[in-house]
Amino acid sequence: MKKTIALLLCLVMLVGVLAGCGGSGGGSGSSADKKVLRIGTEADIDNLNLQTQQNAINNVVLKNTHQTLVFFNNGSRGDDVRFDPCLATDWTFEDDTHILMHLRDDVHFNDEAKTPMTAEDVKFTLDMAMDNLVATALAGYVGCEIVDDYTIRIEIETYNNEFVQSLASVPLSIQSKKAYDDGVEDPYYIGTGPYKFDEWVEGEYCRLVKVEDYWGNDLPADDNLAPGASDVIEFRPYIEASSRVIALQTGEIDVCVNPPINELQYLEEDENVTVYEQPGTRLFYFAFNVTKEPWDNQTLRQAVACAIDRDAVLQAAVYGKGTPQTTILNRGLWGFYDDMEGFDYDVDRAKSLMAEAGYPNGGISTTLSYSNGAPYEQIATVIQANLKAIGIDVTLSPMEEATHKSNCVDGGQELFLWRWNEDSKVDFVYRDLFYTGSGSNYHHYSDAHADELIDKVATEKDQDVRLAAAKELQEYLVDACPQVPLYIANLVIAYNKNLQGTYLYGGGNHDWRHAYVAD
Amino acid sequence: MIKYILKRLVMLIPVILVTSFLIFWAMSLTGGDPALQIAGDKATPEQVEQIREELGLNDPFLVRYAKYMAGMVTGDMGQSYVTKRDVFKTFMERLPNTLMLGGAAVLIAVLVSLPLGIYTAIHQNTWKDTAGMIFALFGTSMPNFWLGLMLIIIFSLTLGWLPSGGKTGFASLILPAVTVGFGLAALITRTTRSSMLDVLRQDYMTTARAKGCSEKRVIYTHGLKNALIPIITAIGLQMSLVITGSVLAETVFSWPGIGRLVYDSISKRDTPMVTGSIILCSVLMCIINLVVDLIYAFFDPRIKAQYSKKG
Repeated sequence: MKKTIALLLCLVMLVGVLAGCGGSGGGSGSSADKKVLRIGTEADIDNLNLQTQQNAINNVVLKNTHQTLVFFNNGSRGDDVRFDPCLATDWTFEDDTHILMHLRDDVHFNDEAKTPMTAEDVKFTLDMAMDNLVATALAGYVGCEIVDDYTIRIEIETYNNEFVQSLASVPLSIQSKKAYDDGVEDPYYIGTGPYKFDEWVEGEYCRLVKVEDYWGNDLPADDNLAPGASDVIEFRPYIEASSRVIALQTGEIDVCVNPPINELQYLEEDENVTVYEQPGTRLFYFAFNVTKEPWDNQTLRQAVACAIDRDAVLQAAVYGKGTPQTTILNRGLWGFYDDMEGFDYDVDRAKSLMAEAGYPNGGISTTLSYSNGAPYEQIATVIQANLKAIGIDVTLSPMEEATHKSNCVDGGQELFLWRWNEDSKVDFVYRDLFYTGSGSNYHHYSDAHADELIDKVATEKDQDVRLAAAKELQEYLVDACPQVPLYIANLVIAYNKNLQGTYLYGGGNHDWRHAYVAD
Repeated sequence: MIKYILKRLVMLIPVILVTSFLIFWAMSLTGGDPALQIAGDKATPEQVEQIREELGLNDPFLVRYAKYMAGMVTGDMGQSYVTKRDVFKTFMERLPNTLMLGGAAVLIAVLVSLPLGIYTAIHQNTWKDTAGMIFALFGTSMPNFWLGLMLIIIFSLTLGWLPSGGKTGFASLILPAVTVGFGLAALITRTTRSSMLDVLRQDYMTTARAKGCSEKRVIYTHGLKNALIPIITAIGLQMSLVITGSVLAETVFSWPGIGRLVYDSISKRDTPMVTGSIILCSVLMCIINLVVDLIYAFFDPRIKAQYSKKG
């Protein structure tokens, strides 16, 4: 009897396991699923409510289901225009603080009633944003007036060169007022994009399906707002980088986002895989807490900058897949200027500056804080050796990223490593990192002239004057040296060799709407 | 017996209180401001402060703990700071995956280790015993992170038999279950062997043989049954550990279980999710231990009698 019960228990366990495993959807990437595009992500999708989330991976998913007033293109056209009409057809500044914007009149939401998208939805979305995390992206917004169903007038506090660009931010995608008014469950899922949500199982996958009655079905295939190419797009998190690489090689996924650089050779040898590389926008930098002695000494900071071998850092961190950098602005942004003299690697100059700063024999002991893991550990090791050569003893202090960030905000660090990724607005670099009192100004740098130049770049209408101010600002900040820019890492991505229609961004916010795996 | 079970369930209350307090305390000691994590890199100091205020992070530790426990009493384990989803619901969504992986791993471990443990005990001090123990040593000392990657390279990449990760059907369970099960098998093999060696030396085994029982009957009926209690203890302990400790295997195989959930939540300083998950894991471990205790009674009437007396 007992044996029978034990046997039955084993059987039930096995059946349970089998039953539980079955039919979670998706399959493992058989070659028959040509209409499915599977993207292996490096992070879990954790929140798909547009205005309460902050993660890049969520935005990559939401780009397919929702649309913004203005579209931020990836610059591959080669012209200087990075912002195109999207749900808004055109916009004009009526005066310094009012923007008149016309909307498309043929757009509807992907709900059962095909509710038209109107100026009410735009006002609703922008007003709601001011109560959410995304308010940062909409800084300066005062209000929105509905002129008619397809025309709005946006009021801003003061003229700002980049306000309209803010509207290209994915979290500001237009949402349905009616869905909120009707008390629809998870109303933020309803968008106007060519895809809609089918299923999201946290930690497993997020599946989007093509909208059959998409409002833009008649648009030509080369239009940015054209219908989606694949029938289904699935985002699958493969947190462990090596597993993600293998999943691409076995055909379980079609795209491996951010493959580990040290495993690229395996992918490059695989005839079924394309490894694509282009200049990126993510800047890695070494920096000082300028409120802490002796790092409040500008000349000393410059000496340290001269002692750092950026080429060695780049090689150690990303096997040379990047570009050493002199200026503090992310590559590709408006007004990028990297031709200043700066502080190239020159140990003799570094020693001379050390003497000028009052430390002819070095004799400084300090701590370098950074987040655990690559590439920071590799960068820190090179810098520790570099600074030893000019008499600075550096103690390495790796810590978890959340702890490191809090430590930097509180000003507990002396030297630190950090990164900044921005590909659309220069104000998100200048103001966030260097403006007095800004939340991400971990240097705790405060300088009236720099603040004035930052404001000028944001508000100056004469573009020549503005460009001159941007150049002056970068030269000023490089000379002030609260930060030593190290390098911009290349964007590296690997995908199925049959993948077509990719639309990649140097910053990683790729657009998969028109991508598909060809037969 | 029922009274005994009820008593054990009531004992969950102090376990929950102590666990929740310790986790809350540990999370408050850990550096890293949850508000900064939630707000993202581009938030203003005012926004960060607003989030702190909204989440009650400016309250003293004891006030926050009391508020959390007040929610718990009403069955509300709170919302995740990051995903804004209900903690209990999120945990329960992941639990079947973890139980599935744990169950399959333990099943594999038991199927391999019991026969192997018995076999090595019977052939003590022979090359067969040595080979079995080398297997056990190998299994105990091999990091399952490395083993997982090796299995992926062999069975997914080279042979193309099994998927390398994700939860896409029965086939996707095999590699993670073997990875976790291999380590468990090693441990249970050693326990089975030593327990069997103890039993094999007992007088009643000699008596059984003297009475003319077949060797098979002596080993499996008289020997194994008496050796089972430490083995069941080992299996129960391993099952508890698998539930909370499979984070490496879950990461390598992209298996959406509880280990990965807790690990991610800690790195994001998602206190409600971490606290809620660990409390629920503690409850689960208590239940597994209770089930193990009840299984003792199933195999050993003496223990059953003790429970009845205690009850």
